[in-house]
This record gives sequence, C-alpha cells and structure tokens, in this order.
Amino acid sequence: MKVDGNWFNERTVKPIPKLLENKEEREVLRKIKKQKIYLLALLLPFILFVIGFEIGPLVAMIKNSFYADNGIQVTIDQYITIFKSKFYLQAIQNSLVISLFSAVTSVIIAVIAAYSITKFSQKIQNRLLMIANMTSNFEGIPLSFSFIILLGNNGLFTLLFSKIGGDVFADFNLYSWTGLILVYIYFQIPLAIMLIYPSYQGIKKQWKEASSLLGGSTLSFWLHIGIPVLLPSIVGTFSILFANSMGAYATAYALVGSNYNLLSLQIASLVASDVALKPQLGSAMGVLLAATMIGAMWFNERMMRRIRRDLR
Amino acid sequence: MNYVTIDQVTKGYENQVVLNDISLTLKKGEFATLLGQSGCGKSTLLRSIAGLEGVDVGRILIDGKDITNLSPRQREVGMVFQSYALFPNMSVFDNIAYGLKMKKVKNIKSKVKNMIDMVDLIGKEESYPHQLSGGQQQRVALARALVMEPKVLLLDEPLSALDAKIRKSLQKELKRIQKELDITTIFVTHDQEEAMTMSDRIFVMNKGKVVQSGSPSEIYTSPVNTFVAKFIGNYNVCNMEVFHKLVRSTELKGNEVAIRPEVLQLVSAGEDSLDLQENWGIKGVIKDVSMTGNVLRYEVETDESAFLVDYLHHRGEMFEQGARVHILVPKKECIIL
Ligand SMILES: Nc1ncnc2c1ncn2[C@@H]1O[C@H](COP(=O)(O)OP(=O)(O)O)[C@@H](O)[C@H]1O
Ligand SMILES: [Mg+2]
Repeated sequence: MKVDGNWFNERTVKPIPKLLENKEEREVLRKIKKQKIYLLALLLPFILFVIGFEIGPLVAMIKNSFYADNGIQVTIDQYITIFKSKFYLQAIQNSLVISLFSAVTSVIIAVIAAYSITKFSQKIQNRLLMIANMTSNFEGIPLSFSFIILLGNNGLFTLLFSKIGGDVFADFNLYSWTGLILVYIYFQIPLAIMLIYPSYQGIKKQWKEASSLLGGSTLSFWLHIGIPVLLPSIVGTFSILFANSMGAYATAYALVGSNYNLLSLQIASLVASDVALKPQLGSAMGVLLAATMIGAMWFNERMMRRIRRDLR
Repeated sequence: MNYVTIDQVTKGYENQVVLNDISLTLKKGEFATLLGQSGCGKSTLLRSIAGLEGVDVGRILIDGKDITNLSPRQREVGMVFQSYALFPNMSVFDNIAYGLKMKKVKNIKSKVKNMIDMVDLIGKEESYPHQLSGGQQQRVALARALVMEPKVLLLDEPLSALDAKIRKSLQKELKRIQKELDITTIFVTHDQEEAMTMSDRIFVMNKGKVVQSGSPSEIYTSPVNTFVAKFIGNYNVCNMEVFHKLVRSTELKGNEVAIRPEVLQLVSAGEDSLDLQENWGIKGVIKDVSMTGNVLRYEVETDESAFLVDYLHHRGEMFEQGARVHILVPKKECIIL
C-alpha cells in the first residue's frame, strides 16, 4: 500500500468507516501518528531552547518595565522617566543616528562590493567570501582594540603618518563620534556583503541581454530591473544591520567607555553597573530598543512592497 | 534583394571553433530555421546576429546595413529566449512596454494593447510573470520583442521548455503572427519535426557549419550527406558494399545509400509475387515492433545490417516479432551519398 500525503488527508478528513475497519489501514494510520509524535519529540529541545532563552527573557523584560523601582507597584513611570529625561532621549537619538548612518553606508558599499566580487573567477570569489565571513565575526572588544592599536592616539598608523609628515590623521580622533561610526561601518560591511552577495546569483544574464536588445542602457537595466530584484535582500540586510548596530554594546564600550551616550551603553549601566542598578528602567529602555528595531523592519517591508508590487 | 546576409562568419572560444565560415542569406519576410544537434553553434550564431556575441571574422548585414560592430541596442533585432527572460518585477504590461519606454516613443499604451491582443493575453496585463504558465510567459516575451517592430526576430528554442500540447499550439500561433506581421524570422531548434512544420527554409548545422539549406521538403527528400539523412528523417543509411551483397547487384555506385523508412515495404517470406522490376528485395526477420501513435515501426534484421521500416498503423495488418519477411526497396527511392 502506498502511503502519501494525499491518501492520508482523504482518510483523516473524511474517514470511511468500512476502510478504517480494515486492519492493514488502521495499522498505517497508527504508524503515521506515531511518526508525528516522534518528530515533535525531536523538536522539543529546540522549542524549550527558544522559550527559555528568547521568549522567556523578552516576556520578563516587558513585565519588568512596568514595575516601579522597588519592583512591587505596577506603573508606567519608567517610560515617563525616559521620555522626560533629556539624557535618555539623547541616548536613543544617538543610537538611532549611528545605526541609520552606519547601516545605510554599509549597505551602499556592500551592494557595490558584492557586485564587484561576482566579477571575479569562482576561485577568487570563494576566497573573498571566506575573508568577508571571517571579518564579519570580528567585532566587540577585539575589534576595538585592533582599531586602537592602528588608529588610536598612539596607534601604528597615526604615528607612522605623523612621522612621514602626512597629516592625514591629525584631525582624526578614534574616540569620538567619527571614530565610532568608522568602527561600526567596519564591522557592518563584511556582514552586509555576506548577506547581499547571494542575491546577485538571482540576477539572470538574459535579463541584461533582453534589456539591451530592447534599447536599455546598463544604467536603465540596474534602475528598472537589477536594483528592484535585489531590493528584498537589500532591505532585509538593512534591517539586520540596523538591529545589529542598535544592539552593539561591547565594541562601543571598549572604544568610548561611558563617554558616549548610547542606548545600549545606558541599558548596560542600569542593569549591570556597580553604581546604581535600576533593572526596571533598563527593561523599559530595552523594550524601546526592541520597538525601534521592529518599527524599522516594518517600515522597510512596507517601502519594499510599494516598489516590488509583484511580491504582494 | 537579400534582407539578411551572414558573410563568412567565423567564431571560436579559447581552443574551439564554434562557427566555421558560415554564409547564408534570407529574404524579407522569410521564416528560416537553424536546425542542428545541441552544441553545434546555433545559439552562438543567433547571439552573434543579435550582437550579444562578437564574431572573429566575417560580416553580418541587415537590410543592406553592416551591423557587425554595432551594439545590440542599435541593431533593431528582437530576441526571444528559451528561458523567457521576463523581468520578474514588472507586470505583463510593463514588460511589453519596457522597450518602448527606453526608446521614448509615443502611444505606448495603445501599442502595448495591440500587442497583448495579438498574442492573446487580454486580461493578463496586470499579472506578474510568476503568475503565468510557461506558454503565457513565452507569449509575453514574444510580444515584448515584437512591439519594437524589429527588422529581424530571433527565436532561440522558444518552445523547447513547453510540454508537447502547448508547444504544438504555440507553433501554429507563432507562424500565424509571423505571417500577419510579415516579419523576417530566424528560429533555432534541435527538433527536426518542429523545423519541418514551421519553416520556409531550413539551414541544417553540424559542428559549426551549415551543411545543407533548402525548403523542408528538399531537405527531407534529398539529404546531401549521411549526417542530414540520419538527423532529418531516420534514414536507413547503408554502406554500398554491404548493399551490393544484400541485393545481389552492383547496379548502384557511390559510398553509401540512404533510404527513408516509409518507402520500404514488407512482404511475407512465403509470398512469391514480388515486383523485382522496380524494387530490390532483401530477406530479413522482424526483430522489433514499436508504435509511435499512428506509425508502426519495424526493425528488420538482415544478413548484414538492420533496417527501419515505417508503416501507417492500419487495423489488423501487422507482422509479428520473429516473422520472416522480404523488404522491398523501391529503386527510385534510393539516394546515393
Ligand atoms: N561562452 C562560451 N565559452 C566557451 N564555449 C562556449 C561558450 N558558449 C558556447 N560555447 C561552446 O560553443 C559550442 C556551441 O554552443 P551553442 O551555440 O550554445 O550550441 P547550440 O545552441 O547549437 O546548442 C558548444 O560546444 C559550447 O560548449
Ligand atoms: Mg542553444
């Protein structure tokens, strides 16, 4: 007897008693059920993992954010505190600006870089991707220290160039806003390349040929076909980069310590510093952080649907 | 007089000659087919005409103008690919309108509407390629090329990805549209039956050369060499010495003899009223019988080689496997190669 999806559906949706009495068929049904339970059991550790480490903390964070500092009264005071504080609003604004700026810049660079990678031979493409893969994992404290060693006040390049006489880095301060953006962009680019590169494989050579036979230039091809086709991947990458830098903590901490007012740094100091622990306020800020990320994703999706109407 | 001229075109990749000194001419409004096995250079020739590939030697002229060194967009040719190559982010309407927009012509809307009408896609204007069947997508691709009113339409195996039934109906429709617009067309296929039904003229290609050109019936009834004979009509091709032994006569001269399977006749071995005036007789045994729709195909084993014999499938008349027969070979149907 052949057991495929169709057969199973027919029998379960509309059981025919006579057939079900058939011993052989009942046996098959039982086996399918057993198999399903078995598959669910295999999924269980994963479900527990997601609940325990992702949904659990999220729920706890949201719940926490609605308690007063003493952890007893239910209130929205924490949010009021944030929105009344110039300091915290500044942190949110700084985080938004640096994330937007670094995500946009990195996506633009990555779109161009990934395209040039596709022009190399397969062997070189693989090598370049391997490098991108490795460097995309290069962030946090090691990355900051590398930058400090190369471009800090006593960094290798800084000293080298001042010795040579070129004042390239004279006005450059790694521990500033510019420095921070440079480092953010640095760790975003390889990730962006990794994410965008595969979608170039989806651009068919024949589209270019058809476009050119119909009188289109290279520019019009990219404008009307190439970029729109890449768009879902560009938008998705942008969302990831935005979230990535909104949440980036170790890199910023190692580089500017608490000198610079960022949302992620403020949350950390509220939940894990040795001065004044305010986990409820930290939670509220965490909720706002998550909300901006979700908001950004939602906005991106909407913009994309407008341009790619075929994706509905 | 000649509308398209390919003049001694040669092209190679790295260490392989793909087009070997190809010359051919087409008249205005002609439906020509490049026919040949996969890898013989059909697509390369078509793409050279379109300007998607350059040629190493030779010239290509359309309507008296040398286009050998023009870019694709200056050539005024339209092309349809086997894989449709529709722009996935554009609706049917926008796909067809793309070229007109690039050229900044007027009345885009009415031109596109006319074209949609011609390829029978009314009601699908706002659909996207992924919502269409293969046949519908290919109609869009055809409309997209035709709306530009190209001087020459190039079709690279446009129907090969479609299933048999849709393919047959699109063949007819393509032919109708081509006649209606009187557009000079170069069609590429590896399917000899398709080439036969569609073309005014066929160019049979083999290993980068045009080995024979002519009307479908010329090519079918008088192949110039073994390759064409075997590729076009399943001809029985027999070495002349072997043939002499089989028919016990040395009347025919030449290297090989080619005989179409459908001109051969089978007679039971017992029968003795053979017309050996007009025919040669060869003794054989039926080794296999196969049926392709309305045609019965016998494989008959003789002392020296096997022959294919095609019969229309009439009720009741059939030789069994293992039956002893005579093959009657009409003398005037033997083609000497
Ligand atoms: N870009 C290319 N580089 C190297 N060889 C190629 C290229 N394109 C086609 N060829 C070779 O040229 C020959 C003819 O190819 P093609 O014109 O596509 O044949 P057809 O369309 O008749 O099947 C093939 O042997 C193919 O391998
Ligand atoms: Mg081909």
